[in-house]
Amino acid sequence: MGALLQHGSPVSTTVDFVLELTMASSSVRSAPERAADPSKDVKTHFRVCRFIMEAGVKLGMRSVPVATACTLYHRFCARVDIHAYEPFLVATSCIYLAGKVEEQHLRTRDIINVSHRYFRSGSTPLDCDQDFWDLRDSVVQCELLILRQLNFHVSFEHPHKFLLHYLLSVHALLNRHAWARSPVAETSWALLRDCYHGDMCIRHAPQHLAIAAVYLALHSYGVELPRGDKEWWQVLSSDVTRDHIDAVISDLLQLYDLEAKCI
Amino acid sequence: MDRELLKQCVSFHGASLFQKLQSEQIENPDFQAVAVDLSKAIQERKTDWNSTSGLVEQFIARKADLLFSRSWRVPNSQRPEYEEEETTEPYGRLPPLELFMEVPYEERRAMLYRDLEKGDVVLGRINNVREYGFFLTLLGTAAGMKRDIEDLDVSALCHIREIPSSGSHDDPLSYYQIGDFIRAGVKDIDRYQEKITVSLHQAVLCPGLEHVKLGVIAKEDLPTHYSQSSLVANDSTLTYERLLGGSHGSQNPCVVDYLLQKVGISDTQPPSLMRGLQSKLFDEDDFATSIRKKQSAMWALKSVRLGVDHFKNERHVEAMNEFNKALDIDNNNVEALVARGALYANKGSLVKAISDFELALETCPDHRNARKYLSQTLVERGRQLEEQEKLVTAEGLYRKSLSLDETNSEAQDALNRITLMIQKSIRLREEAMAKEKEQEEAKNSQTTSADKLRKILKDEKRLKKKRKRSTSSSSSSSSSKSSSSSSSSGSHRRSRKKKKKKKHRASKRQRRISSKESCRSDKHGEQEDGKEVEWDAPPIISGTFLNQREGPGFAARDVFAKDRTRSLSREVEAKQKLGNSWKDNNGNGRKSDFSRKDFETDASHISTSSADSHSRRSSFPNDSRKLANRDTSRRSSMESGKYERRNTEEASSSNAKGDDDTRSEGPKKELPTNLLDIFSQIEQFKKEKGVRPSK
Repeated sequence: MGALLQHGSPVSTTVDFVLELTMASSSVRSAPERAADPSKDVKTHFRVCRFIMEAGVKLGMRSVPVATACTLYHRFCARVDIHAYEPFLVATSCIYLAGKVEEQHLRTRDIINVSHRYFRSGSTPLDCDQDFWDLRDSVVQCELLILRQLNFHVSFEHPHKFLLHYLLSVHALLNRHAWARSPVAETSWALLRDCYHGDMCIRHAPQHLAIAAVYLALHSYGVELPRGDKEWWQVLSSDVTRDHIDAVISDLLQLYDLEAKCI
Repeated sequence: MDRELLKQCVSFHGASLFQKLQSEQIENPDFQAVAVDLSKAIQERKTDWNSTSGLVEQFIARKADLLFSRSWRVPNSQRPEYEEEETTEPYGRLPPLELFMEVPYEERRAMLYRDLEKGDVVLGRINNVREYGFFLTLLGTAAGMKRDIEDLDVSALCHIREIPSSGSHDDPLSYYQIGDFIRAGVKDIDRYQEKITVSLHQAVLCPGLEHVKLGVIAKEDLPTHYSQSSLVANDSTLTYERLLGGSHGSQNPCVVDYLLQKVGISDTQPPSLMRGLQSKLFDEDDFATSIRKKQSAMWALKSVRLGVDHFKNERHVEAMNEFNKALDIDNNNVEALVARGALYANKGSLVKAISDFELALETCPDHRNARKYLSQTLVERGRQLEEQEKLVTAEGLYRKSLSLDETNSEAQDALNRITLMIQKSIRLREEAMAKEKEQEEAKNSQTTSADKLRKILKDEKRLKKKRKRSTSSSSSSSSSKSSSSSSSSGSHRRSRKKKKKKKHRASKRQRRISSKESCRSDKHGEQEDGKEVEWDAPPIISGTFLNQREGPGFAARDVFAKDRTRSLSREVEAKQKLGNSWKDNNGNGRKSDFSRKDFETDASHISTSSADSHSRRSSFPNDSRKLANRDTSRRSSMESGKYERRNTEEASSSNAKGDDDTRSEGPKKELPTNLLDIFSQIEQFKKEKGVRPSK
């Protein structure tokens, strides 16, 4: 992909190879067409983030590094025109970079193996040949590119920590049997992880995301919490309003709808 | 599907949810089963309707099969946990939420009575002590449930029989004062009459909390959230958010992992509500570790092929390099191990080859080549061991080799051969042992008579000692200790004694005496001249002594219990013991040096004296030379032991403890002419040590 050369990085022919890999996956168009269709972009991002999440599970990544990888990808896409790049290569480099940032170091070899198998399911592992080294080089080069685009601001505050503390506090409020009966913790964790398919992670504050996740989980099971002068969610964060929560929830629910259309 | 949960959900949302559920979950057989019950349970909607409610209900309806499945809930132990109040918090500890929410009094009270259960731990302050027990004002809860109850005026009774007795017969209530902080376990709750009974017995606590200590606690032991509550109540700017942000624990980088564990969610198989990310859809083969293994095996195989090629063309060094490279890539690669093992075996490093083959067989027990090669290598190794006379190990190896490869004829032959050899050697050994046993028995029969004699002598000595003890004064304890230590070592020597003949004993004794004299003279004289001088005296005086001792008479006299000689020898031995003990006090290093010199001079002297000595004494130089050859440490112990041996010969070993010195002072009056040399020795002692008062 010669387009990449415009940005001055020496990725060149290796990217062609990666592109060939990704041809096996679903409808990612090749670079030259600049479609101004935002919904297409959203679908692309969804697929790419799905790739990141799946690879994260297969690589044994914890939730927070996966969240970092997705956030890196969304922030990168917000700053550049994604059509100039190969999104899956960017995603692979985001995974690699996130592992370093969140202190769960991943070997490039493992990332490449998992990605290769994601696109060519059931294939034999790559041989230690020139193609492999080229791939590896391209991942590393792209990582540098991402760093430069993000001005090296690569550590973020994630909602996960807040979510867990909120869960503990809410747990204390409830009768232990009510808590045991409703799997609020698992559901809110799942909701939080799933929200990384979209770019809501960069549009909302981490506390708001966490509160919304707990709220939706409690709501789904019909768990009732005591009421005081203030609502429980008002207490958890000083600036959260009903609107914020509603906004987050609607974004999240749209993502679930998107899944049916994309995959 | 979890029926209860569904009911709870539907009754919360109302009929609209139910309709949506029906439309979405129409294919779900589980739902159909539950649907009938649900329709009955529908009531008024409990929650407000707002813009997102429709979407939420839609979401719930669509994901109902995931949300309400029984496997969704992670099986978490229901037992409450008690957390020790650590100074380092792994996560942010915060006051109960209801405090911030300002939940009204009535509701909090109701919540408390609803949620408190038997076996919970509560904290309270004593507000009243009666003769039948004491009353607590509850301040807070301590296990799992964090509630703000201080201002609720909840009081609990702890009956006197719920207080564990402290063992003494005092009134247990006297131990408790008004104002004490108490940690107690809830024994009973009467929710209607709002009465709580607590107990201080550990048994009342539920299984997870058994280790919690009940009773009086200090103010510092109150949980942090309690102290924080009072802060928050006073200061309204302290919000939950501020507290969380400021807390030490929330800055912990591992807080997420720690809390995940606490809450009970797994991060390796994370839950998701997306259809595509359900864990059952993931194939084990797609995971990074499994791909890596296969890939490593592939890459290693390339190197192995190259290595085998080198091997066939006699390029052993390159072959070894390739195999090592292959094993670097893939640690337990079977082919590489087998190939390397073959190379080792070829080179002759059989042990390394065997270990490689065994490692390969661990991974792949059916590898034909590995078994074949290992079997051959074991036979080779067995042959090596045979040459080293390790017959049993070799036999084991042959057996193992056969078990691996039954067709290995070499192994069979070798095994047969070696079993014969082993049997032969066992037979020989048995014969030798039988012979030894006979000899032993013969000796034993000899020595039993000697034992009897010794007993008789011992008894006689004891009688004499009792007489002497009354007349003498006690000596320094250190010398007695050293003599007792030497006597204990002597008891060990006693067993050795039995095998030796009397003439050896006699010769040794004589040699010991003379060496003792020389030792002492060397030490105290520390000059050749001094030595000469001292040596001059003994020959003149003790020449008679020596001549008297010459011949079997001395030994015979001792052994056959003549009083005079016995007491004489005892005296001598006592003196020597004294000298020995002095030596011990002086330090073993010096002693050993001197002893070495002593023996050498000893040898020379003995050899000169033995020139005109009895034939029996011809054993002297041999013995002394033997002694000279032994190392110094043994010599010094030998010395002390020797004297013990002398003692045992004369059957006086254990009696020597503490009595030697007394003995030394006592029998002087009784002894005849050979006292002279003994006195000279004492003079020498006095000169050097100046401790012993002269007589």
